[in-house]
Amino acid sequence: MPDPNAQFPERIHRPNSPAPWEKKETDEGGPRRPDVDAPDTKELLKKMRRVDPNQAKRYRQRTGE
Amino acid sequence: MQRTLGIETEYGITVDGADSVDVVAESISLVRSYTQVEPPVKDSALKWDYELEDPHQDVRGFRVDELMQDFDEAKYFVQDQNRKLSFQEIKSDLVLSNGARYYNDHAHPEYATPECKSLRDIIAQDKAGERIIEECVRRRNLHTTGGVVKVYKNNTDFVGHSYGCHDNYLMDRDIPFDVVIRGLTPFLVTRQIVAGAGKVGIENEEGAPGGVYQISQRADFFSVLVSIDTMNRRPIINTRDEPHADSDKYRRLHVIIGDANMSEISAALKIGTTSLVLDLLEQRLCPLTIELADPIAALKTISRDPNLKSTVRLYGGRSIGAVDIQRQYLVAAQQHLRGRDEETDWVLATWEQVLADLERDPMLCRDRLDWVAKQWMLDAFVEAEKLGWDEPWLQSLDLEYHNVRRDEGLYAELMRADKIQRFIKDDDVRRAIRQPPRDTRAYFRGRCIEKFARQMTSVQWDEIAFGENDHESVVRLLNVFDDEEVARYNAAIDKAPDVATLLRNLEMIRR
Repeated sequence: MPDPNAQFPERIHRPNSPAPWEKKETDEGGPRRPDVDAPDTKELLKKMRRVDPNQAKRYRQRTGE
Repeated sequence: MQRTLGIETEYGITVDGADSVDVVAESISLVRSYTQVEPPVKDSALKWDYELEDPHQDVRGFRVDELMQDFDEAKYFVQDQNRKLSFQEIKSDLVLSNGARYYNDHAHPEYATPECKSLRDIIAQDKAGERIIEECVRRRNLHTTGGVVKVYKNNTDFVGHSYGCHDNYLMDRDIPFDVVIRGLTPFLVTRQIVAGAGKVGIENEEGAPGGVYQISQRADFFSVLVSIDTMNRRPIINTRDEPHADSDKYRRLHVIIGDANMSEISAALKIGTTSLVLDLLEQRLCPLTIELADPIAALKTISRDPNLKSTVRLYGGRSIGAVDIQRQYLVAAQQHLRGRDEETDWVLATWEQVLADLERDPMLCRDRLDWVAKQWMLDAFVEAEKLGWDEPWLQSLDLEYHNVRRDEGLYAELMRADKIQRFIKDDDVRRAIRQPPRDTRAYFRGRCIEKFARQMTSVQWDEIAFGENDHESVVRLLNVFDDEEVARYNAAIDKAPDVATLLRNLEMIRR
Protein backbone atom coordinates (compact mmCIF):
# COMPACT_ATOMS: atom_id res chain seq x y z
CA MET A 1 0.00 0.00 0.00
CA PRO A 2 1.44 3.42 -0.86
CA ASP A 3 2.31 5.68 2.04
CA PRO A 4 -0.30 8.44 1.86
CA ASN A 5 1.94 10.77 3.83
CA ALA A 6 4.62 10.56 1.19
CA GLN A 7 2.70 12.87 -1.14
CA PHE A 8 2.50 15.72 1.36
CA PRO A 9 5.05 18.48 1.33
CA GLU A 10 7.51 19.07 4.10
CA ARG A 11 5.99 20.95 7.03
CA ILE A 12 7.20 24.33 8.10
CA HIS A 13 8.50 23.71 11.61
CA ARG A 14 7.58 26.95 13.31
CA PRO A 15 6.59 26.84 16.97
CA ASN A 16 2.87 26.84 17.61
CA SER A 17 1.25 29.50 19.67
CA PRO A 18 0.27 27.69 22.86
CA ALA A 19 -3.20 28.48 24.15
CA PRO A 20 -2.95 31.66 26.24
CA TRP A 21 -3.62 29.96 29.56
CA GLU A 22 -1.02 27.27 29.05
CA LYS A 23 2.38 27.35 30.75
CA LYS A 24 4.94 28.93 28.44
CA GLU A 25 7.65 26.50 27.38
CA THR A 26 11.35 27.36 27.26
CA ASP A 27 12.90 28.51 24.01
CA GLU A 28 14.85 25.28 23.73
CA GLY A 29 11.97 22.92 24.21
CA GLY A 30 9.09 24.66 22.43
CA PRO A 31 5.54 23.37 22.67
CA ARG A 32 4.97 19.82 21.50
CA ARG A 33 3.61 19.48 17.96
CA PRO A 34 1.11 16.77 17.14
CA ASP A 35 2.57 13.83 15.35
CA VAL A 36 1.20 14.76 11.93
CA ASP A 37 4.20 13.49 10.02
CA ALA A 38 4.12 9.97 11.37
CA PRO A 39 3.56 7.61 8.46
CA ASP A 40 1.08 5.49 10.39
CA THR A 41 -2.32 5.88 8.78
CA LYS A 42 -2.96 2.13 9.07
CA GLU A 43 -5.47 2.43 11.93
CA LEU A 44 -7.24 5.36 10.28
CA LEU A 45 -7.58 3.54 6.96
CA LYS A 46 -8.77 0.40 8.77
CA LYS A 47 -11.49 2.44 10.46
CA MET A 48 -12.42 4.15 7.19
CA ARG A 49 -12.81 0.80 5.43
CA ARG A 50 -15.33 -0.23 8.10
CA VAL A 51 -17.63 2.69 7.21
CA ASP A 52 -20.70 1.54 5.28
CA PRO A 53 -20.27 2.92 1.73
CA ASN A 54 -24.04 3.56 1.58
CA GLN A 55 -24.29 5.38 4.90
CA ALA A 56 -24.61 8.83 3.28
CA LYS A 57 -27.23 7.59 0.80
CA ARG A 58 -29.53 6.64 3.67
CA TYR A 59 -28.84 9.79 5.66
CA ARG A 60 -31.86 12.05 5.10
CA GLN A 61 -32.71 15.06 7.26
CA ARG A 62 -35.33 17.76 7.53
CA THR A 63 -34.09 21.21 6.63
CA GLY A 64 -33.10 23.15 9.71
CA GLU A 65 -31.91 26.70 10.17
CA MET B 1 -11.79 38.24 24.10
CA GLN B 2 -13.92 41.09 25.40
CA ARG B 3 -17.33 40.13 24.08
CA THR B 4 -20.31 37.99 25.06
CA LEU B 5 -20.47 35.01 22.66
CA GLY B 6 -22.53 31.91 22.01
CA ILE B 7 -22.81 29.02 19.52
CA GLU B 8 -26.03 27.17 18.57
CA THR B 9 -25.55 23.80 16.86
CA GLU B 10 -28.19 21.60 15.25
CA TYR B 11 -27.15 17.96 15.01
CA GLY B 12 -28.20 15.39 12.39
CA ILE B 13 -29.64 11.97 13.32
CA THR B 14 -29.91 8.62 11.64
CA VAL B 15 -30.68 5.06 12.66
CA ASP B 16 -28.35 2.38 11.37
CA GLY B 17 -29.91 0.09 8.84
CA ALA B 18 -33.25 1.95 8.67
CA ASP B 19 -34.40 3.14 5.27
CA SER B 20 -36.62 5.80 6.76
CA VAL B 21 -36.28 7.47 10.14
CA ASP B 22 -38.77 9.57 12.11
CA VAL B 23 -36.16 12.18 12.89
CA VAL B 24 -38.56 14.24 15.03
CA ALA B 25 -39.30 11.30 17.34
CA GLU B 26 -35.62 10.42 17.51
CA SER B 27 -34.65 14.00 18.27
CA ILE B 28 -37.24 14.24 21.08
CA SER B 29 -36.07 10.92 22.55
CA LEU B 30 -32.44 11.96 22.43
CA VAL B 31 -33.03 15.25 24.19
CA ARG B 32 -35.22 13.67 26.83
CA SER B 33 -32.73 10.93 27.56
CA TYR B 34 -30.62 13.62 29.22
CA THR B 35 -33.12 14.04 32.05
CA GLN B 36 -33.02 10.39 33.13
CA VAL B 37 -30.36 10.89 35.78
CA GLU B 38 -30.21 14.67 36.01
CA PRO B 39 -32.70 15.73 38.70
CA PRO B 40 -32.19 19.52 38.58
CA VAL B 41 -32.43 19.53 34.80
CA LYS B 42 -35.51 17.33 34.92
CA ASP B 43 -37.15 19.92 37.17
CA SER B 44 -36.38 22.66 34.66
CA ALA B 45 -37.78 20.76 31.67
CA LEU B 46 -40.38 22.40 29.42
CA LYS B 47 -40.14 25.79 31.11
CA TRP B 48 -38.69 27.76 28.18
CA ASP B 49 -40.65 30.97 27.60
CA TYR B 50 -41.42 31.17 23.86
CA GLU B 51 -43.41 34.39 24.25
CA LEU B 52 -40.18 36.33 24.57
CA GLU B 53 -38.98 35.15 21.13
CA ASP B 54 -39.78 37.02 17.94
CA PRO B 55 -37.89 35.81 14.87
CA HIS B 56 -39.99 38.19 12.69
CA GLN B 57 -38.38 41.34 14.09
CA ASP B 58 -35.85 42.75 11.62
CA VAL B 59 -32.76 44.65 12.70
CA ARG B 60 -33.37 47.17 9.91
CA GLY B 61 -36.22 48.57 11.96
CA PHE B 62 -39.35 46.72 10.83
CA ARG B 63 -41.27 43.57 11.56
CA VAL B 64 -41.96 41.13 8.70
CA ASP B 65 -45.43 39.58 8.47
CA GLU B 66 -44.05 36.21 7.57
CA LEU B 67 -40.79 34.37 7.07
CA MET B 68 -40.27 32.08 4.11
CA GLN B 69 -39.91 29.25 6.61
CA ASP B 70 -43.37 29.87 8.07
CA PHE B 71 -44.83 27.71 5.29
CA ASP B 72 -42.49 24.83 6.18
CA GLU B 73 -43.15 25.34 9.87
CA ALA B 74 -46.91 25.22 9.27
CA LYS B 75 -46.52 22.01 7.24
CA TYR B 76 -44.44 20.41 9.98
CA PHE B 77 -46.90 21.65 12.59
CA VAL B 78 -49.72 19.78 10.84
CA GLN B 79 -47.59 16.61 10.59
CA ASP B 80 -46.55 16.91 14.23
CA GLN B 81 -50.16 17.29 15.40
CA ASN B 82 -50.54 13.54 14.81
CA ARG B 83 -48.00 12.87 17.52
CA LYS B 84 -50.43 13.64 20.35
CA LEU B 85 -47.78 15.75 22.01
CA SER B 86 -48.12 19.40 22.93
CA PHE B 87 -45.91 22.04 21.28
CA GLN B 88 -43.87 22.18 24.51
CA GLU B 89 -43.50 18.41 24.59
CA ILE B 90 -42.30 18.34 20.99
CA LYS B 91 -39.76 21.06 21.70
CA SER B 92 -38.67 19.27 24.90
CA ASP B 93 -36.74 22.32 26.01
CA LEU B 94 -34.16 21.81 28.74
CA VAL B 95 -32.02 24.39 30.47
CA LEU B 96 -28.89 22.73 31.80
CA SER B 97 -26.91 23.44 34.96
CA ASN B 98 -24.08 24.83 32.80
CA GLY B 99 -26.49 27.51 31.56
CA ALA B 100 -26.95 25.95 28.11
CA ARG B 101 -30.24 25.34 26.28
CA TYR B 102 -30.78 21.86 24.84
CA TYR B 103 -33.93 21.07 22.84
CA ASN B 104 -35.51 19.65 19.70
CA ASP B 105 -35.41 22.25 16.92
CA HIS B 106 -36.97 21.30 13.58
CA ALA B 107 -36.14 17.62 14.00
CA HIS B 108 -32.59 18.31 15.13
CA PRO B 109 -31.31 18.16 18.69
CA GLU B 110 -29.89 21.63 19.25
CA TYR B 111 -27.33 22.59 21.85
CA ALA B 112 -27.01 26.33 22.44
CA THR B 113 -24.00 27.11 24.60
CA PRO B 114 -24.34 29.40 27.58
CA GLU B 115 -23.05 32.92 27.05
CA CYS B 116 -19.25 32.96 27.28
CA LYS B 117 -16.70 35.76 27.34
CA SER B 118 -13.51 33.86 26.60
CA LEU B 119 -12.44 31.64 23.72
CA ARG B 120 -11.43 28.96 26.18
CA ASP B 121 -14.93 28.85 27.66
CA ILE B 122 -16.82 28.99 24.36
CA ILE B 123 -14.81 26.14 22.83
CA ALA B 124 -15.10 24.08 26.03
CA GLN B 125 -18.86 24.67 26.08
CA ASP B 126 -19.21 23.77 22.40
CA LYS B 127 -17.34 20.52 23.05
CA ALA B 128 -19.42 19.93 26.19
CA GLY B 129 -22.44 19.94 23.87
CA GLU B 130 -20.85 17.15 21.81
CA ARG B 131 -20.17 15.10 24.93
CA ILE B 132 -23.70 15.62 26.28
CA ILE B 133 -25.18 14.47 22.98
CA GLU B 134 -22.76 11.53 22.84
CA GLU B 135 -24.02 10.50 26.28
CA CYS B 136 -27.64 10.89 25.13
CA VAL B 137 -26.88 8.63 22.15
CA ARG B 138 -25.46 6.03 24.55
CA ARG B 139 -28.50 6.18 26.81
CA ARG B 140 -30.89 6.10 23.86
CA ASN B 141 -29.17 3.04 22.41
CA LEU B 142 -29.48 1.21 25.73
CA HIS B 143 -33.26 1.32 25.41
CA THR B 144 -34.04 1.32 21.72
CA THR B 145 -35.47 -1.78 20.14
CA GLY B 146 -34.70 -0.57 16.62
CA GLY B 147 -31.36 0.11 14.97
CA VAL B 148 -28.47 1.94 16.54
CA VAL B 149 -28.93 5.72 16.66
CA LYS B 150 -26.09 7.83 15.28
CA VAL B 151 -25.66 11.58 15.60
CA TYR B 152 -23.53 13.88 13.48
CA LYS B 153 -22.24 17.39 14.10
CA ASN B 154 -22.35 18.48 10.47
CA ASN B 155 -24.58 20.68 8.28
CA THR B 156 -25.94 18.64 5.39
CA ASP B 157 -27.48 15.38 4.24
CA PHE B 158 -25.76 15.78 0.81
CA VAL B 159 -29.07 16.08 -1.10
CA GLY B 160 -30.10 19.62 -0.27
CA HIS B 161 -31.17 19.67 3.38
CA SER B 162 -28.99 21.84 5.55
CA TYR B 163 -29.13 22.61 9.26
CA GLY B 164 -27.15 25.23 11.03
CA CYS B 165 -24.40 26.10 13.38
CA HIS B 166 -24.91 29.76 14.28
CA ASP B 167 -22.38 31.91 16.07
CA ASN B 168 -23.66 34.86 18.06
CA TYR B 169 -21.99 38.06 19.23
CA LEU B 170 -23.32 40.79 21.49
CA MET B 171 -22.40 44.15 19.99
CA ASP B 172 -23.12 47.86 20.25
CA ARG B 173 -26.47 48.85 18.86
CA ASP B 174 -25.33 52.23 17.63
CA ILE B 175 -23.30 51.03 14.62
CA PRO B 176 -25.40 51.62 11.49
CA PHE B 177 -26.37 48.24 10.09
CA ASP B 178 -25.28 49.16 6.57
CA VAL B 179 -21.76 49.61 7.98
CA VAL B 180 -22.02 46.16 9.57
CA ILE B 181 -23.05 44.69 6.20
CA ARG B 182 -20.27 46.48 4.32
CA GLY B 183 -17.57 45.63 6.83
CA LEU B 184 -18.56 42.02 7.44
CA THR B 185 -19.53 40.71 4.00
CA PRO B 186 -16.04 40.14 2.53
CA PHE B 187 -14.87 38.77 5.86
CA LEU B 188 -17.72 36.25 6.20
CA VAL B 189 -17.52 35.18 2.54
CA THR B 190 -13.85 34.28 3.01
CA ARG B 191 -13.92 33.12 6.67
CA GLN B 192 -14.55 29.58 5.38
CA ILE B 193 -10.85 29.18 4.52
CA VAL B 194 -10.07 29.02 8.24
CA ALA B 195 -13.39 27.69 9.54
CA GLY B 196 -14.93 25.52 6.80
CA ALA B 197 -15.66 21.91 7.70
CA GLY B 198 -15.17 20.49 4.16
CA LYS B 199 -17.71 18.62 2.03
CA VAL B 200 -17.73 16.04 -0.75
CA GLY B 201 -20.10 17.14 -3.51
CA ILE B 202 -22.22 20.09 -4.65
CA GLU B 203 -25.89 20.47 -3.66
CA ASN B 204 -28.89 22.40 -5.01
CA GLU B 205 -27.40 22.84 -8.47
CA GLU B 206 -28.56 20.93 -11.52
CA GLY B 207 -25.76 19.64 -13.71
CA ALA B 208 -23.07 20.30 -11.09
CA PRO B 209 -19.95 18.25 -11.71
CA GLY B 210 -19.35 15.23 -9.46
CA GLY B 211 -16.22 14.56 -7.46
CA VAL B 212 -15.86 18.12 -6.16
CA TYR B 213 -14.38 18.65 -2.70
CA GLN B 214 -15.56 21.91 -1.14
CA ILE B 215 -14.12 23.96 1.71
CA SER B 216 -17.55 24.78 3.17
CA GLN B 217 -20.53 22.59 4.05
CA ARG B 218 -22.95 25.54 3.90
CA ALA B 219 -21.84 27.62 0.88
CA ASP B 220 -24.28 25.84 -1.50
CA PHE B 221 -27.23 26.99 0.62
CA PHE B 222 -26.78 30.77 0.48
CA SER B 223 -28.50 32.81 -2.18
CA VAL B 224 -28.95 36.42 -0.95
CA LEU B 225 -26.78 39.01 0.72
CA VAL B 226 -29.11 40.26 3.46
CA SER B 227 -32.36 38.84 4.82
CA ILE B 228 -34.18 37.82 7.97
CA ASP B 229 -34.77 34.24 6.76
CA THR B 230 -32.72 31.32 8.02
CA MET B 231 -34.25 28.20 6.40
CA ASN B 232 -34.95 29.32 2.84
CA ARG B 233 -33.06 31.81 0.66
CA ARG B 234 -30.43 32.00 3.35
CA PRO B 235 -28.50 35.29 3.59
CA ILE B 236 -24.82 35.99 4.18
CA ILE B 237 -25.91 38.61 6.73
CA ASN B 238 -28.93 37.62 8.81
CA THR B 239 -31.08 40.47 10.15
CA ARG B 240 -33.08 38.69 12.86
CA ASP B 241 -33.34 41.15 15.71
CA GLU B 242 -33.50 39.19 18.93
CA PRO B 243 -30.80 40.69 21.14
CA HIS B 244 -31.83 38.76 24.27
CA ALA B 245 -30.58 41.92 25.96
CA ASP B 246 -31.51 45.58 26.33
CA SER B 247 -32.47 46.45 22.76
CA ASP B 248 -31.65 50.14 23.27
CA LYS B 249 -27.99 49.29 23.85
CA TYR B 250 -27.26 45.98 22.19
CA ARG B 251 -27.69 43.95 19.08
CA ARG B 252 -26.98 40.23 18.80
CA LEU B 253 -25.20 39.52 15.54
CA HIS B 254 -26.63 36.17 14.44
CA VAL B 255 -24.14 34.63 11.99
CA ILE B 256 -25.73 31.72 10.12
CA ILE B 257 -23.12 31.16 7.41
CA GLY B 258 -20.69 29.07 9.47
CA ASP B 259 -20.09 25.33 9.47
CA ALA B 260 -20.20 23.17 12.61
CA ASN B 261 -16.60 22.53 13.58
CA MET B 262 -15.04 19.42 15.01
CA SER B 263 -11.56 21.01 15.18
CA GLU B 264 -11.07 23.17 18.25
CA ILE B 265 -8.61 25.38 16.37
CA SER B 266 -11.04 25.96 13.48
CA ALA B 267 -13.79 26.82 15.95
CA ALA B 268 -11.54 29.12 18.00
CA LEU B 269 -10.43 30.92 14.84
CA LYS B 270 -14.03 31.22 13.61
CA ILE B 271 -15.20 32.87 16.83
CA GLY B 272 -11.97 34.70 17.60
CA THR B 273 -11.47 36.35 14.22
CA THR B 274 -15.14 37.35 13.93
CA SER B 275 -15.07 38.89 17.38
CA LEU B 276 -11.95 40.91 16.48
CA VAL B 277 -13.55 42.16 13.26
CA LEU B 278 -16.54 43.31 15.32
CA ASP B 279 -14.11 45.13 17.65
CA LEU B 280 -12.73 46.91 14.59
CA LEU B 281 -16.25 47.79 13.43
CA GLU B 282 -17.22 49.15 16.84
CA GLN B 283 -14.07 51.25 16.96
CA ARG B 284 -14.66 52.47 13.38
CA LEU B 285 -11.37 50.85 12.32
CA CYS B 286 -12.67 48.06 10.10
CA PRO B 287 -11.46 47.97 6.48
CA LEU B 288 -14.37 49.10 4.32
CA THR B 289 -12.54 49.31 1.01
CA ILE B 290 -13.15 45.72 -0.13
CA GLU B 291 -16.43 45.47 -2.02
CA LEU B 292 -17.18 42.15 -3.66
CA ALA B 293 -18.93 42.48 -7.01
CA ASP B 294 -20.97 39.33 -6.38
CA PRO B 295 -20.69 38.02 -2.80
CA ILE B 296 -22.84 34.92 -3.42
CA ALA B 297 -20.79 33.86 -6.45
CA ALA B 298 -17.60 34.58 -4.51
CA LEU B 299 -18.77 32.40 -1.61
CA LYS B 300 -19.25 29.43 -3.94
CA THR B 301 -16.13 30.06 -6.03
CA ILE B 302 -13.94 30.06 -2.93
CA SER B 303 -15.64 27.01 -1.45
CA ARG B 304 -15.10 24.97 -4.60
CA ASP B 305 -11.40 25.67 -4.88
CA PRO B 306 -9.50 23.91 -2.07
CA ASN B 307 -6.24 24.84 -3.80
CA LEU B 308 -7.09 28.50 -3.03
CA LYS B 309 -5.90 29.66 -6.44
CA SER B 310 -9.16 31.35 -7.50
CA THR B 311 -9.73 35.05 -7.30
CA VAL B 312 -13.03 36.88 -6.91
CA ARG B 313 -14.10 40.13 -8.52
CA LEU B 314 -14.34 43.42 -6.68
CA TYR B 315 -16.33 46.48 -7.70
CA GLY B 316 -14.13 48.39 -10.08
CA GLY B 317 -12.88 45.31 -11.88
CA ARG B 318 -9.94 44.24 -9.68
CA SER B 319 -9.72 40.59 -8.56
CA ILE B 320 -8.41 39.26 -5.27
CA GLY B 321 -7.88 35.90 -3.56
CA ALA B 322 -9.55 34.75 -0.32
CA VAL B 323 -6.28 34.71 1.65
CA ASP B 324 -5.57 38.31 0.68
CA ILE B 325 -9.04 39.44 1.77
CA GLN B 326 -8.63 37.73 5.14
CA ARG B 327 -5.17 39.26 5.47
CA GLN B 328 -6.56 42.80 5.14
CA TYR B 329 -8.71 42.19 8.22
CA LEU B 330 -5.79 40.52 9.99
CA VAL B 331 -3.47 43.49 9.37
CA ALA B 332 -6.06 45.96 10.68
CA ALA B 333 -6.59 43.81 13.78
CA GLN B 334 -2.83 43.49 14.35
CA GLN B 335 -2.42 47.22 14.02
CA HIS B 336 -5.16 48.17 16.46
CA LEU B 337 -5.80 45.24 18.81
CA ARG B 338 -2.45 43.50 19.36
CA GLY B 339 -1.34 43.36 22.98
CA ARG B 340 -4.85 43.91 24.35
CA ASP B 341 -5.10 40.50 26.04
CA GLU B 342 -3.60 37.03 25.69
CA GLU B 343 -6.48 35.49 23.76
CA THR B 344 -6.47 38.34 21.24
CA ASP B 345 -2.75 37.79 20.70
CA TRP B 346 -3.29 34.04 20.28
CA VAL B 347 -5.94 34.67 17.63
CA LEU B 348 -3.74 37.16 15.78
CA ALA B 349 -0.69 34.86 15.80
CA THR B 350 -2.63 31.74 14.81
CA TRP B 351 -4.63 33.56 12.12
CA GLU B 352 -1.40 34.92 10.61
CA GLN B 353 0.29 31.51 10.67
CA VAL B 354 -2.70 29.73 9.16
CA LEU B 355 -3.02 32.26 6.32
CA ALA B 356 0.71 31.94 5.58
CA ASP B 357 0.44 28.15 5.53
CA LEU B 358 -2.69 28.19 3.37
CA GLU B 359 -0.92 30.43 0.90
CA ARG B 360 2.14 28.20 0.74
CA ASP B 361 0.27 24.90 0.65
CA PRO B 362 -3.18 24.35 2.24
CA MET B 363 -2.14 20.81 3.26
CA LEU B 364 0.20 22.38 5.84
CA CYS B 365 -2.94 23.15 7.87
CA ARG B 366 -4.12 19.55 8.10
CA ASP B 367 -3.31 19.46 11.83
CA ARG B 368 -5.49 22.51 12.59
CA LEU B 369 -8.34 23.11 10.13
CA ASP B 370 -11.32 20.81 9.60
CA TRP B 371 -11.59 21.11 5.84
CA VAL B 372 -7.91 20.36 5.32
CA ALA B 373 -7.82 17.47 7.83
CA LYS B 374 -10.84 15.91 6.13
CA GLN B 375 -9.33 16.36 2.67
CA TRP B 376 -6.05 14.82 3.85
CA MET B 377 -7.90 11.85 5.31
CA LEU B 378 -9.96 11.35 2.13
CA ASP B 379 -6.86 11.78 -0.05
CA ALA B 380 -5.20 8.98 1.90
CA PHE B 381 -8.23 6.73 1.38
CA VAL B 382 -8.58 7.53 -2.33
CA GLU B 383 -4.91 6.74 -2.79
CA ALA B 384 -4.99 3.54 -0.74
CA GLU B 385 -8.18 2.18 -2.32
CA LYS B 386 -7.49 3.52 -5.82
CA LEU B 387 -10.83 5.34 -5.98
CA GLY B 388 -12.02 8.36 -7.94
CA TRP B 389 -13.29 11.46 -6.13
CA ASP B 390 -16.78 10.77 -7.51
CA GLU B 391 -16.95 7.53 -5.47
CA PRO B 392 -20.13 7.75 -3.23
CA TRP B 393 -18.26 6.03 -0.38
CA LEU B 394 -16.41 9.33 0.18
CA GLN B 395 -19.63 11.08 1.27
CA SER B 396 -20.14 8.36 3.88
CA LEU B 397 -16.59 8.94 5.13
CA ASP B 398 -17.24 12.70 5.10
CA LEU B 399 -20.31 12.06 7.28
CA GLU B 400 -18.40 9.80 9.67
CA TYR B 401 -15.82 12.53 10.25
CA HIS B 402 -18.64 14.24 12.20
CA ASN B 403 -19.91 11.25 14.21
CA VAL B 404 -20.03 12.40 17.85
CA ARG B 405 -19.19 8.95 19.20
CA ARG B 406 -15.52 9.00 20.00
CA ASP B 407 -15.16 5.26 19.43
CA GLU B 408 -16.58 5.58 15.90
CA GLY B 409 -16.02 9.07 14.51
CA LEU B 410 -13.19 9.70 12.08
CA TYR B 411 -12.34 13.10 13.54
CA ALA B 412 -12.02 11.33 16.89
CA GLU B 413 -9.64 8.85 15.25
CA LEU B 414 -7.45 11.72 14.00
CA MET B 415 -7.42 13.07 17.56
CA ARG B 416 -6.53 9.69 18.99
CA ALA B 417 -3.65 9.39 16.53
CA ASP B 418 -2.42 12.85 17.61
CA LYS B 419 -2.83 14.29 14.13
CA ILE B 420 -4.93 17.28 15.23
CA GLN B 421 -3.91 20.14 17.50
CA ARG B 422 -6.01 20.92 20.57
CA PHE B 423 -7.06 24.32 21.87
CA ILE B 424 -8.44 23.13 25.21
CA LYS B 425 -7.97 20.15 27.51
CA ASP B 426 -10.34 17.33 28.36
CA ASP B 427 -10.67 18.73 31.89
CA ASP B 428 -12.02 22.00 30.46
CA VAL B 429 -14.72 20.04 28.65
CA ARG B 430 -15.55 17.90 31.70
CA ARG B 431 -16.02 21.02 33.79
CA ALA B 432 -18.13 22.71 31.11
CA ILE B 433 -20.61 19.82 31.00
CA ARG B 434 -21.95 20.85 34.42
CA GLN B 435 -20.51 24.25 35.23
CA PRO B 436 -21.45 27.57 33.64
CA PRO B 437 -18.82 30.21 32.83
CA ARG B 438 -18.32 32.42 35.90
CA ASP B 439 -18.01 35.69 34.02
CA THR B 440 -21.39 35.92 32.27
CA ARG B 441 -25.06 35.88 33.30
CA ALA B 442 -25.07 32.17 32.36
CA TYR B 443 -23.66 31.53 35.83
CA PHE B 444 -26.79 32.95 37.43
CA ARG B 445 -29.03 30.85 35.16
CA GLY B 446 -27.03 27.66 35.70
CA ARG B 447 -26.94 28.07 39.48
CA CYS B 448 -30.70 28.79 39.52
CA ILE B 449 -31.20 25.44 37.80
CA GLU B 450 -28.90 23.78 40.29
CA LYS B 451 -30.55 25.29 43.37
CA PHE B 452 -34.11 26.33 42.56
CA ALA B 453 -35.27 24.50 39.40
CA ARG B 454 -38.53 23.38 41.04
CA GLN B 455 -39.57 26.92 41.91
CA MET B 456 -38.80 28.24 38.43
CA THR B 457 -41.91 28.78 36.33
CA SER B 458 -40.23 29.95 33.14
CA VAL B 459 -36.80 30.71 31.77
CA GLN B 460 -35.27 32.56 28.82
CA TRP B 461 -31.82 33.90 27.98
CA ASP B 462 -32.65 37.25 29.54
CA GLU B 463 -35.09 36.42 32.33
CA ILE B 464 -36.08 33.82 34.89
CA ALA B 465 -39.46 33.65 36.62
CA PHE B 466 -40.09 32.07 40.02
CA GLY B 467 -43.48 31.16 41.41
CA GLU B 468 -44.54 30.74 45.01
CA ASN B 469 -48.02 30.81 46.52
CA ASP B 470 -49.67 31.86 43.26
CA HIS B 471 -47.31 34.81 42.96
CA GLU B 472 -44.76 35.08 40.15
CA SER B 473 -41.54 37.10 40.44
CA VAL B 474 -39.44 37.81 37.39
CA VAL B 475 -35.68 38.39 37.44
CA ARG B 476 -34.65 40.30 34.34
CA LEU B 477 -31.11 39.83 33.04
CA LEU B 478 -31.29 42.28 30.12
CA ASN B 479 -28.33 44.31 31.32
CA VAL B 480 -26.24 41.79 33.23
CA PHE B 481 -23.08 41.92 31.09
CA ASP B 482 -20.35 44.02 32.66
CA ASP B 483 -18.04 42.29 35.13
CA GLU B 484 -19.30 44.11 38.23
CA GLU B 485 -22.95 43.46 37.49
CA VAL B 486 -22.26 39.77 36.76
CA ALA B 487 -20.32 39.50 40.04
CA ARG B 488 -23.26 41.00 42.00
CA TYR B 489 -25.71 38.48 40.52
CA ASN B 490 -23.23 35.64 41.07
CA ALA B 491 -22.86 36.55 44.73
CA ALA B 492 -26.62 36.81 45.16
CA ILE B 493 -27.32 33.33 43.78
CA ASP B 494 -24.35 31.77 45.61
CA LYS B 495 -25.44 33.11 49.00
CA ALA B 496 -29.19 32.62 48.72
CA PRO B 497 -30.53 29.67 50.75
CA ASP B 498 -33.98 30.03 49.17
CA VAL B 499 -35.81 31.88 46.42
CA ALA B 500 -37.33 34.46 48.76
CA THR B 501 -33.87 35.52 49.98
CA LEU B 502 -32.55 35.57 46.43
CA LEU B 503 -35.33 37.89 45.31
CA ARG B 504 -34.83 40.17 48.33
CA ASN B 505 -31.09 40.40 47.68
CA LEU B 506 -31.61 41.13 44.01
CA GLU B 507 -34.07 43.86 44.91
CA MET B 508 -31.32 45.49 46.99
CA ILE B 509 -28.88 45.25 44.07
CA ARG B 510 -31.32 47.01 41.79
CA ARG B 511 -31.84 49.93 44.17
